[in-house]
Amino acid sequence: MDYRFLPKKGLSLFVDGLLKDFKVYGPVKMDGFPVYEEVSSAKELLLMHSPSHITPKKYLFPQRETLLRFKTGEKPQVEHAADADNQVLFGIHPCDIHAIRLLDRVFAYGTPDVNYLRRREKTIIIGTECLPDKFCFCRSVNTMTAANDFDLFIHDIGAGFLVKIGTEKGKELLFRHVKTRKATIKEISKLVEFHKKKESMFTASINAEPSTLPLIYSGSYDSPVWEEIGKICYGCGSCNLVCPTCYCFDVRDDISLNMKDGERYRVWDGCLLEDFAKVAGGHNFRKTRGERLRHRFNRKFQFQVDKFGGLFCVGCGRCSRACLVNINIVEITNKLIEERETGKKE
Amino acid sequence: MESPYLLRQARIERITRLTEKERLFRLVFEDDKTLGHVPGQFIMLSIFGAGEAPISVSSPPDTRNEFEICVRVVGSLTNVLHTLLKGSTVGIRGPYGKGFPVKEIENKDILLIAGGIGLVPMRSLIKTILLKRGAYGRITLLYGVKSPEDILFKDELDEWSKVPDFDLRITVDKPHPLWKGHTGVVTRYLPELKIDAERTAAVIVGPPVMYKYVIMGLGEKRIAGHEIFLSLERRMKCGIGKCGHCQINSVYICQEGPVFRLSDIRRLREAI
Repeated sequence: MDYRFLPKKGLSLFVDGLLKDFKVYGPVKMDGFPVYEEVSSAKELLLMHSPSHITPKKYLFPQRETLLRFKTGEKPQVEHAADADNQVLFGIHPCDIHAIRLLDRVFAYGTPDVNYLRRREKTIIIGTECLPDKFCFCRSVNTMTAANDFDLFIHDIGAGFLVKIGTEKGKELLFRHVKTRKATIKEISKLVEFHKKKESMFTASINAEPSTLPLIYSGSYDSPVWEEIGKICYGCGSCNLVCPTCYCFDVRDDISLNMKDGERYRVWDGCLLEDFAKVAGGHNFRKTRGERLRHRFNRKFQFQVDKFGGLFCVGCGRCSRACLVNINIVEITNKLIEERETGKKE
Repeated sequence: MESPYLLRQARIERITRLTEKERLFRLVFEDDKTLGHVPGQFIMLSIFGAGEAPISVSSPPDTRNEFEICVRVVGSLTNVLHTLLKGSTVGIRGPYGKGFPVKEIENKDILLIAGGIGLVPMRSLIKTILLKRGAYGRITLLYGVKSPEDILFKDELDEWSKVPDFDLRITVDKPHPLWKGHTGVVTRYLPELKIDAERTAAVIVGPPVMYKYVIMGLGEKRIAGHEIFLSLERRMKCGIGKCGHCQINSVYICQEGPVFRLSDIRRLREAI
C-alpha cells in the first residue's frame, strides 16, 4: 500500500480543494458531543476522537429519503427519485469504515438498492484514527484498524499527516489538490506505534474470539438474559438509531394538501420499537421487549452473519453509550459466554 | 439501474363484495404484460398517498395481463382501497416470494387447510390444481371461518364441491341457528379424515394462531414434515429483502417465503 506524507498546513489546502467539487462532511463538536456535520474548512474537523453519537451512515442511507415522486389523478404519474450529491466523508473511523463495507453488501445483494448504490458511488471516504472510550470494543471484533474500504486514510503524526492511499480515485484527489511526498519508513511506523498504543487503551472487551460469537449466540436463545434486560429496556429504539449497521426502514407516503402530488419515502425504523413486527390484524410477532432485544443482538452476532458473512457488530459501542438504562452489549455478550462456559443459566 | 420501488399501473376492472369486510378486485395492467406469478406469491399494492402493503394474489397464473386480489379491510391502505371505484388506478410491484410447489405435489392427494382469509392465496392454488385436475389425486379442503357470514367465494366453493374426488368441509366457530354445517375449529375434523399419509401433501394457510394446532393434527395423521407446506404472514415494507420487517432469525419471509416446507422451518424459532 502506498503511504504519502502531507505537511501540517497541507490539510486545510486539501479540504479547501475538496470543497470545490464536493460537499464535505466530518466530525465536529456540537453541544459538547462529537457529531458528523457539513464542514467548510479543515479547522472545524475533530480528527482524533471517540466515536460520534450518530453514525456517518446518514450520508449514505439518510434518515428520511425520497424513493418516488408522484402525481395523483386519473392517470397517476410516478418517477424515481435519486438525489445524490458528490460528497466526501472526511474523518471516518475504522469501525464506521467496516460498517459501510457491510452496508455496501446489504444494499447490493439480491435486488440492488439503487438509491443507496448511487449515493455510495458519489461518495469519497477518507478515514482517520480515533481514541477509544469506555464503550469502544472494536479490538474484540477485529475492526480496530481498516486495511481497505476507504479512498484515503489520514493519520496525524505530529509534524504532518501520514496518508494511506486506498483507491486510485483517492490518490488522484490528493495529488490534484496538495503536494505530498513518499512517506519514510519511520513515518509509516508511527501508525503501527499508534495502533499498539490504541490497543492498550481499551477497557471493554469481549471474552471470546469473534469467530465463536455466532455459535455462542445461537446457543443462547433461551438464556434468562433476554427476559432480564427486557424488563429494564424502554423499547425506545435508541440503539437502532445510533447503530452503524442497523438499516431497517419503513416506507411511507406524504401527500400535499391539495392531494395532487406527493412522495413515497423511506425512514429509519428500529426492531426495538413495539410495532416493528406487528401485522395489520394486530398480531405482534415479537411482542415483548426481551424478544426484540434478542432479535437485535442476534442480528449483529448471528442472523446477518449467516446471510452476509462477518459479524454485523463493529464494536463502536454506540448502542451501549446511547442506552437510557445502561444495557451494555459487551456485558451482555460476556454474560452469554459465561453461561456457555459454565453451563449455568442463573 | 432501475429503482425496485417503481410500479406498474393497473386499473380496477371489477369489484365483487364477498362479505362485509372482504372484496375481490379484478385488476388489469395498463400495459399488456402478464403478472407472471405462481400460486402463493404476493404483490406490493400501492395507492399514492395511502402507501403500500403486501397482498397475496388470489387468481391462478394467467396468460392475460390481469389478476385478482381479495382484500379485507384491516389497515389504512386497505381502507382506502375499499373506497375506490371501478376504473380507478392502483400501483403494483412484484410478484414477490416463493409460492406453492405446484409441480412437486403432482400425483399426490392434496390436503388443504385454510383459516379465514387464508383461503385467498389458497384459491390461487386450488384453481391452478383444478385446471390440471388429472395430475392430482384426491383433494380435501378443510376451511374454517368465524361465522357463516365470513365464508369467502361461496359460489366457487359450491362448484369445487361438485368436482370428482373433492372433499369440502367448512366449519364455523360461531354458528347461527340456521347453520347446518360443521362447527368448531378446523383441527376438530382432522381425525375423521381418511388420509393416505404416504401419498399426501398438505398445505396450510391461516392466521398465526392456527398453525401450531394444525401441525400437531397433521403429525397425528403421520404426514411427514417435508410434505407439509405453509404460508407465513409477516409485516413487509419493501418485498426485496432489505427493510427487515419480515425477518425471522436469518430468514427473510419475502425472499425465502412466504411459502415454506414445514421441515425447513420447524426448528426456526419464532416462525410458528
